[in-house]
Amino acid sequence: MKFKAQLTDNGINLLEKRILAALDKMGKVCHVFLTRDHAFFLHNLLNSDGVQSIAQFKKESLFQDYRISSQNEDKIAFSIDLSLLHRALRSILTIYVESRDSDSSCLQIKLVKKAPPHSNQAVPFLTLEAKGYKSAVVQDVPISKPLSRADVQELQLALENAQEMPLTLVKAPELNLLQSFVDRMKHVGEVLGVSVSKCGDLHLQISTTSITLGAEFRNLTVLGERVEGAAVDVGSNAQTRIERAVQRGDAMSVQVSVKHFYKSLQSSLAKPDCAFYGIAPHGACLIVIFQFLIPGTRQIDKSISLHCRLPVLDPGSN
Amino acid sequence: MSSSVEAPDLVCELDCVQGVVDALTSVRWKRLQDAVVEISEHGMVIIVEETACLQAKVYLQREIFLKYDYGARGRPRFGLSLGLFVDCLNTFSVPGRSNTLEIRYPGSDMQLLLRSVDSSNACIYAEMRTRIPETISWDYNFETAGSTPMSFTVKSSALKEAIDDLEWPGSSIQITLQPSPPSVVFRGEGHGDLQIDFNYYAHMDLLIAFSCDRQISHRYKYKFLRATTSNIPSSVIRDNRGSKFTIGRGGMLKVQHLVAVAKPSTSHPHIDSAGYQQPNRIAYIEFFVKPEMEEDNVNDS
Repeated sequence: MKFKAQLTDNGINLLEKRILAALDKMGKVCHVFLTRDHAFFLHNLLNSDGVQSIAQFKKESLFQDYRISSQNEDKIAFSIDLSLLHRALRSILTIYVESRDSDSSCLQIKLVKKAPPHSNQAVPFLTLEAKGYKSAVVQDVPISKPLSRADVQELQLALENAQEMPLTLVKAPELNLLQSFVDRMKHVGEVLGVSVSKCGDLHLQISTTSITLGAEFRNLTVLGERVEGAAVDVGSNAQTRIERAVQRGDAMSVQVSVKHFYKSLQSSLAKPDCAFYGIAPHGACLIVIFQFLIPGTRQIDKSISLHCRLPVLDPGSN
Repeated sequence: MSSSVEAPDLVCELDCVQGVVDALTSVRWKRLQDAVVEISEHGMVIIVEETACLQAKVYLQREIFLKYDYGARGRPRFGLSLGLFVDCLNTFSVPGRSNTLEIRYPGSDMQLLLRSVDSSNACIYAEMRTRIPETISWDYNFETAGSTPMSFTVKSSALKEAIDDLEWPGSSIQITLQPSPPSVVFRGEGHGDLQIDFNYYAHMDLLIAFSCDRQISHRYKYKFLRATTSNIPSSVIRDNRGSKFTIGRGGMLKVQHLVAVAKPSTSHPHIDSAGYQQPNRIAYIEFFVKPEMEEDNVNDS
């Protein structure tokens, strides 16, 4: 089992400034899954509760000189503490940046097995290594034992299942705004009703015995199945509008944990250009897809993908 | 429920939600608090109290609101949870944006209805269940203790600091006003002794106003005194405002703060405690603290 690659400048920037900070908020520990073409950071894929977060990178968006081999079709998976990885990366960058001008400088990342101090037993590490003109730094980040063939299989299966897309997606309002709103809203209750309609409405509501608090965002961009019909319900209030849309089959509603919803919004630390909300077929989960554009263009960057799946609290109610 | 058929008792619009959140937060001394809201043609009063020893009132005068349509006869009162009301209002306050909130009472089921009204594409709404208000156990008619009102005004920041410091001796705090030399003394005796003196001549920048014609002294429970300053909004400190203490008949203590609910539109960079700001964007906050009973009015003539 071998993995060795060089982090590109773009990859370093992406990981250090954006992705790791966002993923760390999602959960301290995640699975790293490496294949011949892709690197994945996966949260909660093997346990059903909690927000599933799937970050996928084409190898070229992070690495160059990418070499991987294993007896399991060159797939390797392990779990890692994201805050440690982030810290190690930040610390090594201070050296790396200084020595960047010399031709020989590069930031290498690889899997190693070595015995930690005061122990004879070799354990696995993900090692970051910067070799500069004057100095070299090595940061060993402890990782779990690589996942067994069966576990990798299970992870891959879960990953494939997590690719299921909603029929309708609506573009989320400005993420900072939404985040600050949900941050305040979460004091009021714990269960958030989320409705997505084919007319481009996103409706969030917390309802307890003493208060109903909600927000309706209308005329959002719709991807996938859509209906024109916003005009029908002019004059009625937000709650009746969405209830009617659900009855007509033009909208779906699910209930999720407010905490989960807020957590998924912290992916905005990865500085996505926009986000889309949708509900998986049969109301299986709430999906939020973050979209990245190629810098300076309006083209979608397909080499990066990040999405979250929020477990629904009461699947029977729909 | 005839009122639901007729025009609502109140429809008002507010554009300074954060200021109102700040004002209400200043009377939020514990997590679960029931409040009574009273509406009238003059505005809204929110009243909270504790064990008949501490009462606080927040006056939101109608001038604070962009629009204030009052259609009720009498003064409707309803009860709600203060914490929930503050959390709910807070949701409507989006930092860095001006936003307008409409408040309507009552709804079809006597709810308090709130909704944002400034954008057709995004709307925040809330319905809060109200309760039949508990009777206010002491609608106290505050009377001055003699011909001269016994009062002083102190910089809110200094007051908060002094009361925070008195936490150490704790339990019970004695407040003494004396005319010569004109001074106010906060004295705490508990685990230890701590005395904080405000001398009018020595600290004229702290003790802004002083009115007292004879010595007066009363003891108050520390936790109640603390409640009067623990959540003073940071804007009050920033604006360098003062808080007024008045000791009334029977040692009843009245503490008053002024909270600017909207940014001053005037160009006064320095607003002194008297408040050169337009008075109509200010929320008035009053606390009433009953004195401790043991040493009954020893010094009160």
